Amino acid sequence: MEQANINLAKKTIWLRLAQSLVNDRSKNGEFKVPVHLAMGHEAIAIAIDAVMQKDDALLVTHRNAHYNLARQGSLKEEMDEYYLREDGLAQGRLGSMNLNNPEKGIPYASSILGNDMPVACGYALGNKAKGIEAATFVTTGDGAMEEGAFYESLLFMKTYDLAAVLIVENNDWSLATRIEERRAQINVERLVSGLDIEYVCLDSNDVVDYAQKLEAIRARAIENNAPIVVEVKLTTLGYWYMTNDQHPDGKFINYHCGTAPDVQACTQSVYPTIDETNADPLFVLNQHFSKEQLIAFSDEMLSNLKAELA
Amino acid sequence: MKYVQYVNSLIKGAVKDNGNAVLFGQNIDAGSCLSGLTRGVSDVNEGMTLNTPNVENTLVGVGFGLMLNGVPSVFFMKQLDFLLLGIDHMVNTYNVIRQTQPDASFTIFPVTVDSGYEGPQAALNNFDDFCSIAGVEGFSFTNKADSDKIINEYMFKPGFRILSTGQRLLKLDTLNLDVVYEDPEFKYFQYAKGEAVSIVCFNHALAYGVELKDSLTENGASASLFSINSHLHSNYDHILEDISRTRKLVIIDDSKSRNRLSDRFLADALSVCDLEMKKIIVPELRADSFYPREDSLDIDYREVVEEIVSK
Repeated sequence: MEQANINLAKKTIWLRLAQSLVNDRSKNGEFKVPVHLAMGHEAIAIAIDAVMQKDDALLVTHRNAHYNLARQGSLKEEMDEYYLREDGLAQGRLGSMNLNNPEKGIPYASSILGNDMPVACGYALGNKAKGIEAATFVTTGDGAMEEGAFYESLLFMKTYDLAAVLIVENNDWSLATRIEERRAQINVERLVSGLDIEYVCLDSNDVVDYAQKLEAIRARAIENNAPIVVEVKLTTLGYWYMTNDQHPDGKFINYHCGTAPDVQACTQSVYPTIDETNADPLFVLNQHFSKEQLIAFSDEMLSNLKAELA
Repeated sequence: MKYVQYVNSLIKGAVKDNGNAVLFGQNIDAGSCLSGLTRGVSDVNEGMTLNTPNVENTLVGVGFGLMLNGVPSVFFMKQLDFLLLGIDHMVNTYNVIRQTQPDASFTIFPVTVDSGYEGPQAALNNFDDFCSIAGVEGFSFTNKADSDKIINEYMFKPGFRILSTGQRLLKLDTLNLDVVYEDPEFKYFQYAKGEAVSIVCFNHALAYGVELKDSLTENGASASLFSINSHLHSNYDHILEDISRTRKLVIIDDSKSRNRLSDRFLADALSVCDLEMKKIIVPELRADSFYPREDSLDIDYREVVEEIVSK
């Protein structure tokens, strides 16, 4: 396995461990701000981080923990921001849902559904005005995609030939409802084809595969001066089952924000998968590495994190 | 010269001086060019001039995205009511971006629909509310002097603000008044200094104030005349000193807002000035307020003059 792919695997595991450490503190009730973790979203976050180049930008939603951690490459600053400390990534001014990091290419984060896409349009237009060849990545979700801003922004990006990559993180859930509970199905591919915009679906949860594909997607967006929509099908892990008199067999509770009660604390010699299926990007890494290798990677990353927080 | 022509010349001058902005909006460089307001801007703009799709929410976000990327821009808008669709960005986006004190400017330049005949959208002669909702800096202008100073000072000043004037005014001849005093940040202007009363105009009401001042002059009395341009509450010490001297105050505000800046101004005046007389002239909320009707204040100047000179 190439060193580059080993690095991708280590970063993916690191991102899971870092989020688990945040979750541990959430379990202790240590944060006043609402933290939206993204366990299960590690592959796309690490892949985007891997392909971003100088002058590229990434605009994100309220669920931005994974992207900010991936771009920053360390945990303490983000953790301190969640504590609203002056040592935090934004000096305690932004908390979690609006956490940005311009120095690492994240100029804007929005807590409002659909809000970051119009701002990304402007950012990409700014690159065009300045003659800069760069990609503007912007994330959204299957819930935010319902907002009019999604259509408006695609129309704007297409009209002005903007080099933008719109990432739709489709986890099938908006707060406590599944797509099928709240709206008609949206065929993203057919929707964007109506605007003559390229569509790509990523559903393998494989960080190595995602990094290769995103590198090519980024290059096409810049070369063709065109937006590309990437739908990423994933599962937000940290879900749990609530048992009570009404639900003796357990009611499924999708993780949205705050504490994921069933996610275990990180320990040495334990590979931190949450779901033993391809829904978990860490489980998918078994396709590339042996169990012993993954545990070794995990131990190394956990030691680094504990040293950082010590 | 019609006011729209004068404002258009100021816009083109500011664009030419700035050099490299992104100017955007619906039909700003096509068709009537917003009834002449933006005619010819692409001839002087060295940057991009974009006739955009009808995506107002996105267009407000675009301005903030350009600002984050260090590119100055102006979003010209035919009618203030279009801005309702972009309020999310004026509040939520701006509240994030304003923390970074950006180097680039973003100005929204809507025309406030105050002629009255457009029906419900003409009922939104409410610039005060747009500025109030997130503490957004906003300036209206009504005449040659204030539009000259405000457009040149603020259209490309780093940061975000809204500049607006009235649709009704743009169709009229340019009001040309001598300036007695101007606030250093052009938040208000004084156009006359007199003895009998202090007249303070808000929104687009200056022309009413001029007519009242002239009526007083015909009756042998003189008035101080002010017009407030900033739609955020400010320091009004200079005006309050004048009111303390005349001890008579007439406020004229043609905004339909129920959140009028003039109300806060009145509170300031009542707290520091010993008034002998005050008169507040504002639009009444009537059964036909949301019908297509002329949007003008019905002022009996003779009655107001008698009230001023009799006390």
